[in-house]
Amino acid sequence: MRLGIPRDVSLDGHLVDGVLGYLTLCTGIAFAVLVVILTVTLLFHRARAGRQANYTHGDGLRARLLTFGVGLTLFVAIDVTLAVRASHHLRERFWNYPDDDPNALRVEVTARQWAWTFRTAGPDGRFGTPDDVVTLGELHVPVGRPIYLKLRSKDVVHSFYLPTFRTKIDAIPGSTTRLWFQAQETGRSEIGCAQHCGVSHYKMRGWLYAAPEDEYRAWLARAEIDSRLRYDPNDVVAQQEGWDW
Amino acid sequence: MKRIFSTDHKVIGRQFLFLGLTFLAVGGVMAMLIRWQLARPGQPVPIVGRLLFSGAGGVISPAAYTSLFTMHGTIMIFFAVTPILIGGFGNFCVPLLIGARDMAFPRLNMLSFWTMAAATATLTSSFFVPLGTAQAGWTAYATLSTAIGAPGAGQTLWTVAIYLNGVSTVMGAVNYITTVVRLRAPGMTWFRLPLTVWGFFLTSILNALFVPVIAAAMVLLFFDRVFGTQFFIAGTTMRAGGDPILYQHMFWLFGHPEVYILILPAWGIVSDLLAFFARKPAFGYRVTVWALIGVVILSCVVYGHHMFTTGMSPLLGESFMLLTMIISVPTSLLFLNWLGTLWRGALRMTTPMLFCVGLVFTFGIGGLTGLYLADIVADQYLHDTYFVVGHFHLIMAAALLMASFAAVYFWFPKMFGRMMSERLGKLHFWPTFLALNVVFGGQLLIGWAGMQRRLYDPSAYDFLKHLLPWNQWISRAAYVLGLAQLVFVWNFFVSLRRGKPAPANPWEVGTLEWTLPSPPPHHNFDTIPTVVRGPHELGSPDARARGKDWLGQDEVLS
Amino acid sequence: MSRDASLESAPQKSLNGAVGMAVFLGACAMLFAALLFAYAVVRAQASAWPPPGTPPFPRGAAAANGVLLIAAGFALRRARARGPAWAAFALGLSALFLLMQALLWGRLVAEHLGPGTGALGDAFFALSTFHALHVLGGIVAMVILLRSRARSDARPRRLRLATIYMDFVAAVWVVIYVAVCLL
Repeated sequence: MRLGIPRDVSLDGHLVDGVLGYLTLCTGIAFAVLVVILTVTLLFHRARAGRQANYTHGDGLRARLLTFGVGLTLFVAIDVTLAVRASHHLRERFWNYPDDDPNALRVEVTARQWAWTFRTAGPDGRFGTPDDVVTLGELHVPVGRPIYLKLRSKDVVHSFYLPTFRTKIDAIPGSTTRLWFQAQETGRSEIGCAQHCGVSHYKMRGWLYAAPEDEYRAWLARAEIDSRLRYDPNDVVAQQEGWDW
Repeated sequence: MKRIFSTDHKVIGRQFLFLGLTFLAVGGVMAMLIRWQLARPGQPVPIVGRLLFSGAGGVISPAAYTSLFTMHGTIMIFFAVTPILIGGFGNFCVPLLIGARDMAFPRLNMLSFWTMAAATATLTSSFFVPLGTAQAGWTAYATLSTAIGAPGAGQTLWTVAIYLNGVSTVMGAVNYITTVVRLRAPGMTWFRLPLTVWGFFLTSILNALFVPVIAAAMVLLFFDRVFGTQFFIAGTTMRAGGDPILYQHMFWLFGHPEVYILILPAWGIVSDLLAFFARKPAFGYRVTVWALIGVVILSCVVYGHHMFTTGMSPLLGESFMLLTMIISVPTSLLFLNWLGTLWRGALRMTTPMLFCVGLVFTFGIGGLTGLYLADIVADQYLHDTYFVVGHFHLIMAAALLMASFAAVYFWFPKMFGRMMSERLGKLHFWPTFLALNVVFGGQLLIGWAGMQRRLYDPSAYDFLKHLLPWNQWISRAAYVLGLAQLVFVWNFFVSLRRGKPAPANPWEVGTLEWTLPSPPPHHNFDTIPTVVRGPHELGSPDARARGKDWLGQDEVLS
Repeated sequence: MSRDASLESAPQKSLNGAVGMAVFLGACAMLFAALLFAYAVVRAQASAWPPPGTPPFPRGAAAANGVLLIAAGFALRRARARGPAWAAFALGLSALFLLMQALLWGRLVAEHLGPGTGALGDAFFALSTFHALHVLGGIVAMVILLRSRARSDARPRRLRLATIYMDFVAAVWVVIYVAVCLL
């Protein structure tokens, strides 16, 4: 029975794993101490003939110092370090969107009941033109470049979830959310939906295919031919999905 | 008729208790069905499957599954725990513990029960409408809960049921707050109140402030569904203005205080009972009270941690993260005081005490796992996985179940005049406690492996296929948990009829309800007592000088 | 000193009622605050207000109805000194307010300002119908608690509480009116 977090194939997923590991260390120690204290009291502080409870209200200075001391130590050691570390990661990496990075691959994601569609700008670099590549349920990306997603939903709230990248972001009708990540290995990763969106929520999956740059470009060229063939300038509903970058 | 519409808080408390326990069973059966589907996806449910899911040959369909988890959550929160703890024990205990003859507004109290009954009837009726019950989860996010995602009367009836439930709760809050402020016996100062009373009092303040917020959300959702307004509706075909995230803000503005509303009575009860059965005063009573108040204040400003993945502004996100972490400070002080109460006590391991210690254990794990979710970086991965499910079930379900059972075993003698069987109580406790930890600890682990919530069939995802054996073990533990409750049901009903007659004070503790006969007369106290000391004067030199290890709150030393 | 809820003296019961009413009004205030918050969010996110194409709102009619409600509050206040006839008059004015609101809603629907026609109509309907339900509830409660067969020693206390409630309900109407119709 294999259990465990899926293998991380992303650039920044290890930061998440680091935070998770630190949390497990700290909470594990705290929990172990709790178990020891409970075991001692339950074994040795039971009512027995001749045993008297220690009559104290625990409101003397020593008791309060002890309680507050432990509480504050836990807070600083765990919460404060976590918050500082998280803020650092968020500002430096996860919330540092590649708006000005010409190297980033921009993808528009549309969530609907119950599938994901993805649109890239195609070789001309502009959205809303005949060479846009639209795929259903498959997100093709090159390895080693930032992938910058903007997401919308057509109907209800969905959530774009990449477990092997340790990340997710909701797709909300009427607004646009964004996410960026980078694949470090070739291969495919499952995309899931992480927000209850109706009876087929459990089937709303897709695949992310990460390939080396040259293989990606080859795929893109083939897909672009296909998209150009299928492009219909009169299909107003399809065009409507584009937005300003 | 007079008894059905009784205004006696003890009768009303029992009415709420029976309503809540009944729906606890209903919600529990739903949980068993959910676990069946997760362990054996697509297989017909034995015995009851043909009856409940006749159209599908006994198999739980995806639509039935969404109904199940929606109604399981809704029932457990609003129609089980709330009536058991707040309506049931709150009503029964508060006037007795403060030395009053009844609540401040007895008729309002009666109305509050019958409003709850009406809410329950409304929710039950939603099972019988075409297209079935609400199916958008107990959180009912827009736009899934609007006409876009949920056609049919079931979701609309759900909003009405939640609204009526809220009206009942606010009526109760008016009563409890006024009663505790105004009807305390002479000498019952604020810092001589049993912590149980503090729990109910602070819960009522949160109820009065935040239940109206979800009521407002339900009003607007109702309008969106029935009158075509667009408060929460947005999307490619809609006119501008509506905002599904507005729903989430309104919902969680209530929703987060709600979890504290549910746990505060449990914290209060456990804080008292640990002292009673450790035979020493509650450690750090004043610090505990201030910690509870601190939690109440902070609970208002942490709700955004449920919305970290909605793309909120970084400033907002970080603020919520920080505030959520800060709320762990008063909570940990409360927890440390529990340990201080136990330390160097003379523990009497009665059934109520076992359940209290069990709560300390599960709340310890559950509370610690909250730290993972408070951290935005970790939450990026863990949000909407079974890690969240394990977390909240440990601190909600496990802790609240154990507090409820502790309360039942503790106050059953006072309520019904008979003792429950200690032997059966322990037989109930051990499988319950162990199973709770396996079920919800197991969910923490499969969440860690990445399994999302609310999945009809996890094997639809390749990366989750290997978790089937784990889900099966969790389900087995869940069945054990369910079966273990039959011991409780047996004990409860047999003791009602044939339990040993209960003395006035079987637990030898000093709070005021134990100065009365079991059960108390209609008017409670012949003369209102005068309180001269705190609620946990156990093991004091004064007591020992009189050859016992406890002193009553109104016991005058000659 | 006895604290039996039914044996308490009038001043003690009076204070109980005041505390209870304070909590109740606090809860009601949170309800309307939440509804107004939702209205504020919808309005802030709209590109223009009122949304383009919204017909003009009949402010005068809505204001007139508000005056009825405020008058009812004054009438109820007079009942303390001048007797139950003024209380009946106040209830009559409140009922008239509800009737006029119903007529106003009918007019709004006819003029394309009903729920579902636009954000302004949505907001006004949600807020005003809920407000009206609270007025209705107040009327029902007063009819029950202030009827001639009710306990006469309780009447002055209940009248005071009823007055506070009517004032609250009138104040909420003023806030709704200002927020939706004027601003």
